[in-house]
Amino acid sequence: MQEFLQYVFSGVTNGAVYAVIALGFSMLYRATGLINFAQGELVMLGALCLISLWQGLGLSLVLSIVLSVGIVSGVGIALERLAMRQVRKPHPIVLVIITVGASIFFRGIAMILWGKDARSAGPFSSNVPLEIAGATLLPQSLWVLAIMLGIVAALHLFYRKTLTGKAMEACAINKKAAWLLGVPSDRMVLLAFALSAGMGAVGGVLIAPITMSSYDMGTLLGLKGFCAAMLGGLGSSWGSVLGGLLLGILEALGVGFFSSALKDAIAFMLLLFILYVRPTGILGARAVHRF
Amino acid sequence: MRDRETDEKAVPPLLKIEGISKSFGGIQALYDVSFEVFPETIHAIIGPNGAGKTTLFNIITGVSAPDAGAIRYGPRNIVGKQVHELVAQGIARTFQNVELFGSMSAMENVLVGRHVRTACGFVGAMGRWSWVRTEEEEARQKAMDLLRFVGLDSVAHTRSSDLPFGWQRFLEIARALATEPRVLLLDEPASGLNAVETQRLGELLQEIRGRGVTLLLVEHDMSLTMGVSDRILVLHQGKRLAEGTPREIQEDDAVICAYLGKGI
Amino acid sequence: MPGPFTVSEVSDGIEMLIRNLLFAAAILLLGVGVKNPYHLELLTFIGIHTLLALGLNMLMGYAGQISLGHAAFYGLGAYATGILTVHWHWSPWISLPATLALAAAVALLVALPMLRLSGFYLGMGTLGFGMIGFILFRGWSSVTGGDSGLVGIPSLAVGPFTFSSGVRYFYLVWGTVFVSFILCERIVRSRVGRALRAIHDSEKAAAAMGIDTSRLKISVFVLSALFAALAGFLYAHLVSFVSPSSFDFLVSVRIVTMVVIGGMASIWGSLLGASLLTVLPDWLHVFSDYEMLVYGLVLMVVMIFLPQGLTRGILDLYERSRNRREGRSPSA
Repeated sequence: MQEFLQYVFSGVTNGAVYAVIALGFSMLYRATGLINFAQGELVMLGALCLISLWQGLGLSLVLSIVLSVGIVSGVGIALERLAMRQVRKPHPIVLVIITVGASIFFRGIAMILWGKDARSAGPFSSNVPLEIAGATLLPQSLWVLAIMLGIVAALHLFYRKTLTGKAMEACAINKKAAWLLGVPSDRMVLLAFALSAGMGAVGGVLIAPITMSSYDMGTLLGLKGFCAAMLGGLGSSWGSVLGGLLLGILEALGVGFFSSALKDAIAFMLLLFILYVRPTGILGARAVHRF
Repeated sequence: MRDRETDEKAVPPLLKIEGISKSFGGIQALYDVSFEVFPETIHAIIGPNGAGKTTLFNIITGVSAPDAGAIRYGPRNIVGKQVHELVAQGIARTFQNVELFGSMSAMENVLVGRHVRTACGFVGAMGRWSWVRTEEEEARQKAMDLLRFVGLDSVAHTRSSDLPFGWQRFLEIARALATEPRVLLLDEPASGLNAVETQRLGELLQEIRGRGVTLLLVEHDMSLTMGVSDRILVLHQGKRLAEGTPREIQEDDAVICAYLGKGI
Repeated sequence: MPGPFTVSEVSDGIEMLIRNLLFAAAILLLGVGVKNPYHLELLTFIGIHTLLALGLNMLMGYAGQISLGHAAFYGLGAYATGILTVHWHWSPWISLPATLALAAAVALLVALPMLRLSGFYLGMGTLGFGMIGFILFRGWSSVTGGDSGLVGIPSLAVGPFTFSSGVRYFYLVWGTVFVSFILCERIVRSRVGRALRAIHDSEKAAAAMGIDTSRLKISVFVLSALFAALAGFLYAHLVSFVSPSSFDFLVSVRIVTMVVIGGMASIWGSLLGASLLTVLPDWLHVFSDYEMLVYGLVLMVVMIFLPQGLTRGILDLYERSRNRREGRSPSA
């Protein structure tokens, strides 16, 4: 039982990170109907930026986090302005390949800037593990969970309470109608990219103290985040949380009770399973269905 | 315009729409619509925008499923059948916004229409057996005939996206005819055509009927509709408002009140 | 009045024949003329990559679908024949049909549910599938040899005649490419080819013309998988050793890049793309650090500015400049 709980704890921690990445996917999909194949690389950039700023340059943790998120959001904006916006005929293939190209590009840049070595970051606060029901929980896990919930709350407020958020929802549901009502859909798309990139960065910031970060961590994380988003229902915030946590726990249990080689395979098999059986996810995807 | 009323009573309907209802979210697009389409007639569906005409087309051609009702094509209920299956059974259509295969020539577009009446697959294509070559030759002959029929043989090898819009509409009709349909559904075929082209379209529709094809069309152009149709169904807010010959429709009080009152 | 085949189409046919003859001649001459074994092997690799690009092109260029995990089929072909010939001591000629059959079966399994999806979902799904393939190649070490790979794959032989030397394998591979080109040209010009292009242009209208779009998409997916597996087979028996690193995500991306650069919906474009992307990394070995950056940039730039790929793009530019020089307004 204690073992089981231990797996759940570690699973929830990873799961919360997956959830944050999934939220990035969901939000972009909700606002634009697009899926950004470079999302994983944005997470990677967030992680490596944090490590360089915080451990490398010695800046304060808060400043490092803010700068990392800012830089990566900027990258997201650049991606939208310089690449996505330039496309004349938005056939799904074209958009997929562009974001795939972007992901490879980011990888390449990361390899040049940070080399091939894996780096680590220290925990945000202490490293003293907490004991709960015989299993240990690192304080870092609590940070991860807290920030994840914070993001969900912020998103909820954004969509429900702010004018911008409601405008984005309107764009998602009916671009033309929203435009007629004066909502600048171009700006909304840009904002969506910036926000989802920012969320990717937060995911990276959260995962940096947990595992080793390197230039090629993005692909796997991106896929897992996407899997979590699909699992819960693409476009749904709570779905992303549910999917992320579920994936994290299943992974941990799989590793614990079967073999560690299975860890990554679980996410992919789950992804294929969802795509086959229930593409709308557990909570059901939103009505936005562009591609 | 031929008066076919006496003929119709003896011949069973080709298409029987029975109690079709469809709603999207909170909006009732169609409510309990029923009518019959008789073979070798031109049957028009008119009504203001939002009256449910394209929805009805989509249901008949298998693109969407109704919430209730049946559609009898011959003896069978075709509700639930897949789009491509219905084509094989003789139901073809054109689209409101012309949906040609832009990268292909006019000839190739019509040849795609022959797909459902030909059989060559991957293996046959690679092997190019003699039956495959014969089939291809025959298909090209038929395609050329159809292009000649709609007056586009001179541009057979022009890329379809390069053709003027009116010609694209006619090409779409030729392509649909290539499937050898028994029923041809035309979604606003006159939309975007000038007066000359509309006139030509009217003649074409009658020639198509003369070849034994039944036509069901959604149209806004009243002079065309009144001029070529044998029967007209008027839809209003998703419900059947009136059905009859053009003269009957023009004299129907409810129709005049709801729709035609604006003047033809 | 000329029949259904106009003058321009007959001349198209002649043009095709001449192109194929030139192609055959070039292959024969290169095989005889190139003496440097390293260059010969490079050319042979171009041939193998052309098969990969050709298969994916049928799927992406003509049918308009996407696969971001094609390296998995490449690897499947290589590993299947490797395992059958090394562990089970089968003759390579028997393992060939078995390998192809396995690839077709897996492709069918993957495509059946996945081709209901479109665009992004398909991209992600195939990405995931590619990853699973890679994980299997690495993880199932008892069978695949894990990270160390599989060694000792026998050469191909017909009786006493072994395909071990550079020239012989060169001809074997390019002979296969030549035949594949002809078969694909036939497919593209046929009823099936038109149906594929129809799906690409407007899936809605294609269905309205009676085309069973799901079935066709699945078929072309299987076809592209077969080409990839065939390439894998030829690869395995050329280098006698396979390891998982040859079939990772980046390889899938490289194949996609070949198709994108060469030109989607262009059979000859596959050759161009494969050539460029086999030769350049070889010459620019110094810049292997920049390889990913370049790939990423190339993919984005080509997709934005020349979505038709280089072959078409250059042809278009040439046509447009020629029209301008002759004072003609652009068509339509």
